[in-house]
Parts: sequence; structure tokens; C-alpha cells
Amino acid sequence: MASTYSCLVVEDSPMMRQLLVLALSRVRNLKVTEADDGVDGLRKLAGGKFDIIITDINMPIMDGLKLVKRVRSDPTHKDVPIVIITTEGSNEDRSRALQLGANAYITKPIQAPQVIAKVKELLKIEA
Amino acid sequence: MSDKKGRPRRSDRPESAVAAELKQKRDAFLHTFFKRGAELTDELVHENKKLRDTIAKLEEDNASLKTQLASDRAIRDALRKIEDLEREKSRLLSSMHEQEEITGKITNRFAEVESELESFANLYVASFQLHISLGLPTVMRHVKELLVQLVGAKSLAVYFVDEARRKLEPIASDGVDLASVPAVPVQDGAPGNAVAAAIERAFLTGVPHVADGDVRTEPAACIPLHIDDRNVGVVVVYALLEQKRRFLTVDRELFKLLGAHAAGAIVGAFHHTRTDGKLPTPEELRAITG
Repeated sequence: MASTYSCLVVEDSPMMRQLLVLALSRVRNLKVTEADDGVDGLRKLAGGKFDIIITDINMPIMDGLKLVKRVRSDPTHKDVPIVIITTEGSNEDRSRALQLGANAYITKPIQAPQVIAKVKELLKIEA
Repeated sequence: MSDKKGRPRRSDRPESAVAAELKQKRDAFLHTFFKRGAELTDELVHENKKLRDTIAKLEEDNASLKTQLASDRAIRDALRKIEDLEREKSRLLSSMHEQEEITGKITNRFAEVESELESFANLYVASFQLHISLGLPTVMRHVKELLVQLVGAKSLAVYFVDEARRKLEPIASDGVDLASVPAVPVQDGAPGNAVAAAIERAFLTGVPHVADGDVRTEPAACIPLHIDDRNVGVVVVYALLEQKRRFLTVDRELFKLLGAHAAGAIVGAFHHTRTDGKLPTPEELRAITG
């Protein structure tokens, strides 16, 4: 039986969230949970086990950088792969997120094949 | 008495002499006979040896010929095998080329389907988000967000027509201060055509990008906004994100969707917001729809 994976998408823009969820629905056996911001993301993390996290950087209440830091310091989720979504002008944010322990980044505007490929790569799902 | 040779006749010779002569003749005959026999034997032995040698040589030749024949047959078999293999190779190569061609077609088709799928996904999300709310700020935010998040616009302004003052007025912007975005005059003519002309002029001549001061930069895109067939506004995309080097098919489809839906959504949201979300009664709806 194929493994089932779960993914947490943390994104404040409903549009981006919907787009990400739609793209990720094409990855077999991947269950997606949505969170509005970093705090909501941590709440969802506390309530379940996730195999991968995709998070935006710029979000209200708690941004993606803080979320990455909190996840990496949490013994339960410290090894969960994190993909950050950045805009082109945010090289500093990108570097900072990678320093904090994010595994990969995707630049906006996102393209579904790119997101799918990155998730499959980090979850080691064969294409 | 003597014979012709002068020898005394046998009958005249003594018996012993005759016997001796006969013995001599017999010995001579035997000597000759055996000598000849020995010679014949020698000849026969010699001949036999020659024949044996010949047979040996013939056998050797025969063996050689047999080997050669076998070798020739093996070569012929090998050549036939090579021909068969060459034919098989050609067939396989041809099949491989066909497969490569098919794979290429499938890959291209897959890329097309992938692109179409992405296009549909973006259009679905855009349409969904554009009409999910009747709150004017939300609709306006979604119009901008569609261009920023889905297309990769860096700065943009949304214009709406002021038919009384005959100009296109900026009503919202992103990546640029709204207060500094200039209005675009609408020249004389039928309202719809005049707006279309203003949009075209804005696109062709460029709408000033405030961040660039006095430099008039050509906008990346002008998307006329329609309600039915009436031009009522325009979205001007001044600049794109650095990594966004060109518009894709999906972007153009999104522009079409925005052009057809955004103004309707804005106007609908405006009326809905203005009436504090008061819903029309079924009678009112029936009265209008007939």
C-alpha cells in the first residue's frame, strides 16, 4: 500500500493558498492542511503530524521566518522539510529562512509543476 | 656329330655333361626368375608405397577440403546470421526512432496538457476569488492580488472611467502610491470608444510610472475592463517581478478573465456595499429579469 503524506500549507492569501492546494492535489496520497498564518500553522502542527510544510514568508501575526525558527526548535517537528515561498526581491529573507533551517524555496509567481516537483523531491516520492 | 653351334649333339655327349648343362640352365632360369621376381616385388613395394603416399595425400586433401567446406559453410552461416542481425538492427532502430517520435509527441502533449491544466487552475482560482465576496475592499484586493500573485506584477493601478469628467481615474494600486498615479484624459467620442481610445493611447504611449519620476515608461500590460461590451476602465501593469521575463498563455487568459469579470465584480460589490448588503427581494429580481 502506498504511503500517505500530509502537508501543511501556511499562507495568508486565500488565493495563493487555493492555488497551492490545487497544485498539491495532484500529488497522490498527499493530504493538505491549510493555515492562515504562522500562529495558525503552529496550532495545526501541535494538533497533528506533518511530513512537509510549505510557508509564505510575509504574513501577519507570525511570519514565515518565525515559523521556521519555531519548527526547527520543536523536537517533534524539527526534521520536517520546510519549503518557503518568497518574492524575487527578498533575497535576505530567503537566505535567513535557509539559515534557520528551511530546506528549499519557491519564488512567486508560483508554478504548479515547480511546487509538485519540490514536494516530491523532499518527500522522496518517485515522479 | 655336332649341332649347329658346333657343340657335340646331346646324344653324343655324356649324360653327366647334359645333366650339368641342364642344371646350369635351370639355375640360370631360376636365377633370372627370382631376380625378376625380386625386381617385380621391389617394383610392387615401391608402387605400393607410392600408392599409399598418394592415398595419404588424397586423404589429407580430402580432410582439408572437408574442413574448408565446413569452414565455408560456417562462414556462409555466419554471413547469413550477420544479414539477419543487420535486418533486426535496422528494424529495431526504425522501431526505436518511431518510439522516440511517439515519446517526443507524448512529451510535447504532456507539456501542453500541463500548461492547460495550470491555466485552468489559475483561471479557476481567479474566478473563484473574484466572485467569492461582494465586499468592495475584498474584491479590489483580489483583483490586485490576482495580478501580483498569479501573474507576477510588481506595480499596477486600476482605473475606472469618470464619464462626467471624461477621464480614467485611478481607484486602486499596488507597488505604487495611488496618489501619485495620474488620471488619463478621455477625449471626445462615444463613451465606450473614447475609453477604448484612452486605453489604447495609454498602452501605446505609456502611462507615467510615478516611481520613475518624469520618465514615461511603457506599461507591461493594459487590460481593458468591460461590462458587457462597454469599456469602463483599465488595469495598467507598470512593471513585472524581476524573474517574470515574459507573459505566458496563462497570463493572457487571466487578463481576458479580468477584463470580462473584474469591472462587473467591482460594480456589483460597490452596489452591494452601498446597500449594506441588503439583498433584493424575489419580486424585485423578477421585475428586472422579466
